[in-house]
Amino acid sequence: MRLAERLVPFAVAAAAVAVGYALSVGLAGYFVYLGVSAVVAAIALLGLGVVTGTAGMISLCQLTFAAVGAFVVSACNVAGVPGGFGTWLLLGGLAAAVAGVLVGLPALRLRGITLAVVTLGLAAAADLTLVQIQFPGATEGLSVERPEAFSDDRSYFLFAVLVLVACGLVVHFLRRGRWGSSWHLVAFSERGTAAVGAGVRTSKLTAFAVSAALGGISGGLLTGQVGLAFPASFTAIQSLALYVLAIMSGAHLIDMAVFGALLWVAVPELLKRWGVPQDWGFVVFGVLGVQALTGRGNLGTAVRALWYRRRSGRTAGVGLTEPVPDVAPLPPGDPVLEVRGLSVSFGHVTALSEVDITVPEHGILGVIGPNGAGKSTLVDAISGFLPRATGTATLGGRPLTGSPARRARAGLRRTFQQDRVPPGLTVGAYVRFVARRRLTGRELDGALVFFGCPAARTPLSRVDAGARRLVEVVGHLLAKPRVLLLDEPAAGLPHEEHVAFGRRLRQVPARFGVSVLLIEHDLDLVRSVCDTLTVLDFGRVLASGPQADVLADPAVLKAYMGETELL
Amino acid sequence: MLQGALAGLAAGGLYAVLAVCLTLMSRLVRVVNFAQSATGMFGCYVAVFLAVHLGVPSWLATLAGILLGGALSAVLGWIVATWLAEADTGTRSATTVAVLLLLISLAFILFGNKPQPFHPLLAGPAFTIGGVVVSQVTVLTVALAVLVALACRAVLARTALGVRLRALSERPTTAELLGIPARPLSVGVWTATGVIATLAVSIVAPSQSNDPTSLAMLVVPAAAAALLGGFRRLDLAVLGGLVLGMAQGAVAQSDRLSVLRYFLPFLVIVALLLWTQRKEVWDAAR
Repeated sequence: MRLAERLVPFAVAAAAVAVGYALSVGLAGYFVYLGVSAVVAAIALLGLGVVTGTAGMISLCQLTFAAVGAFVVSACNVAGVPGGFGTWLLLGGLAAAVAGVLVGLPALRLRGITLAVVTLGLAAAADLTLVQIQFPGATEGLSVERPEAFSDDRSYFLFAVLVLVACGLVVHFLRRGRWGSSWHLVAFSERGTAAVGAGVRTSKLTAFAVSAALGGISGGLLTGQVGLAFPASFTAIQSLALYVLAIMSGAHLIDMAVFGALLWVAVPELLKRWGVPQDWGFVVFGVLGVQALTGRGNLGTAVRALWYRRRSGRTAGVGLTEPVPDVAPLPPGDPVLEVRGLSVSFGHVTALSEVDITVPEHGILGVIGPNGAGKSTLVDAISGFLPRATGTATLGGRPLTGSPARRARAGLRRTFQQDRVPPGLTVGAYVRFVARRRLTGRELDGALVFFGCPAARTPLSRVDAGARRLVEVVGHLLAKPRVLLLDEPAAGLPHEEHVAFGRRLRQVPARFGVSVLLIEHDLDLVRSVCDTLTVLDFGRVLASGPQADVLADPAVLKAYMGETELL
Repeated sequence: MLQGALAGLAAGGLYAVLAVCLTLMSRLVRVVNFAQSATGMFGCYVAVFLAVHLGVPSWLATLAGILLGGALSAVLGWIVATWLAEADTGTRSATTVAVLLLLISLAFILFGNKPQPFHPLLAGPAFTIGGVVVSQVTVLTVALAVLVALACRAVLARTALGVRLRALSERPTTAELLGIPARPLSVGVWTATGVIATLAVSIVAPSQSNDPTSLAMLVVPAAAAALLGGFRRLDLAVLGGLVLGMAQGAVAQSDRLSVLRYFLPFLVIVALLLWTQRKEVWDAAR
């Protein structure tokens, strides 16, 4: 079964090559030429699918990277670099990737829209510059030599299809791997990415570099098609159009990138046949792009829905009803996480002041307190999301400092109150990524079953909110950190599942070797799980110690429970 | 050098006005409007068309163009406010990218991709400093940039309208629950920036390279200028625009550096980002 699954991409690739061969033989000459244009566009769109579709960044200079590829191929041709066209193509892709990293580096730490501004600026500048400096060999009319075996138009089309298939395979496997998961995650939540110990910048840069490399390859391929590279093929407006096309066709899916490329070629061609000026093509793209962006659904998903039909619309939830065999809890050991004098203030508001917290080895510390007591701020500060927090924290005797990603790698993991689970992945892919270590299938399935989560193959988009929170918990537990900070993990669950969840949580230190700091509102859950408790009120520690003592403390009763709830 | 810098000041004033518009949009309606200068370009081209081909008096044509620019911007604002009310800045801004493409292509279709015979609204020198002539266009655009920034600031800080606008930008949902009419106010902001941008482009276009693409891509230097103020401060946006225009003018004097002129906005953006990214910022709260 698994072997068959692994062979599917290769089978699809072989079929694509076969179709490409049939087309290269069967199509009329003019259409073969158009076909090469479509393949070139498909590779550029694949790149945009990675950066925009998967990693969620706006990149408006895809054809500038294509121009870099074209420039390298032209220069190699002029200089007669050994290795021939194939090597030049790869070099062009590499050079474009380097350019991508250089452009992306400063822009990537600021979020969102700045990358769009930077890339549009680059596209505009490169556009004007190319007109002035021209490509190497262009003024002399030195035509680029195609690979020997693929020198006529028909076989060059086949060559282009081979390149496209190779690029498609690379993108497919990259997306299934560690990088791909991080792209999905970083598009959905940067905090979530950092919390699993993955670098936000690395995730974004790899996406940007892969996308630029694909752009470079498409530019090189275009040069081989035309023979000479011209600035008119790489204008900023065409980059904009390609971006809009990627949005409206849903180019994060490989088949939709190909579909978008067909549109890219077919729309202007049809307009030409109907005697309409070709600029209307971009107007059509613009309108459809606005349509897609305003959430009226894009063409790609519409086509896909027709093609695949809906296999199953049901959402998967948690099933915690099955009893689990009990594991005797381990006695709490020495302190593993120690926080001393932690203070956080936002302007004049003191959110936390001089908070001390200790989580024992094999223990579960509950942190309770009314809304606004500073519980989530505490988790943010310990996990490194509030760099201005003061105080010290040690994990296993070592000082805990640096970025959230660094702290996560040091063995401190956290979950979030809000959903940080990207809908684009399957349960299994997400858990494997969060765990950041090699998991056996048994280990993965065992942990999922233990927490009543949906099976590993389920897409996260079909998992309900409560179950997604638990999938997140499972991922972090399988990472085997020293301490896991859980911020209201049961919040999305139906109430009757709370106690069942608590029973499983109780076994976490013994089963997974992880100590837990649990923030929770549900006192029943807290009572059944936590050995020790810390109560926060207005950012101060009100009481701390064994559960029974703390819950009997008159100050706690007064401040936290109020008069309404009697213990 | 000085000659070039002063010559670039007219463009700098235009960048500054557009940067003020971009800053306002970013602050008040959570969008980086990539179609800001394209809207202005389209309004101007319609004005030229009316004046040249239909013989409409040029002041009337210009007025019609400015109103059209405002109307275009209003329609776009209405679309964004209606369908993307809850969307994040990225998605809202991406929509304006599609509109930028749309407007450039439409301009190609309707008016061709060559520069148009603009009738200058103003011509001639205003005064000379140290032997260097400063044109009326320069004086007017710089004054316009400063005036627009001051007026916006006054409106935002002093008037009831300003309070509502700020409430809307800081806490849209809360503001709406308080009975502040969100959509009409947002569309109003879009309309106002559309009018201002078209006015500024109308003044400067006759003396610039004025093909549709160049005019639409003015948004890049304007964004660089707006970035100096972090898309929040109007005064720094104006300053950024003026300085960038002068720097480009100065660089353009030398043949060897002329390619650098194109990259200047890009380099400015990158340098500013490098500077502002020193502090780590996280995306959406918790």
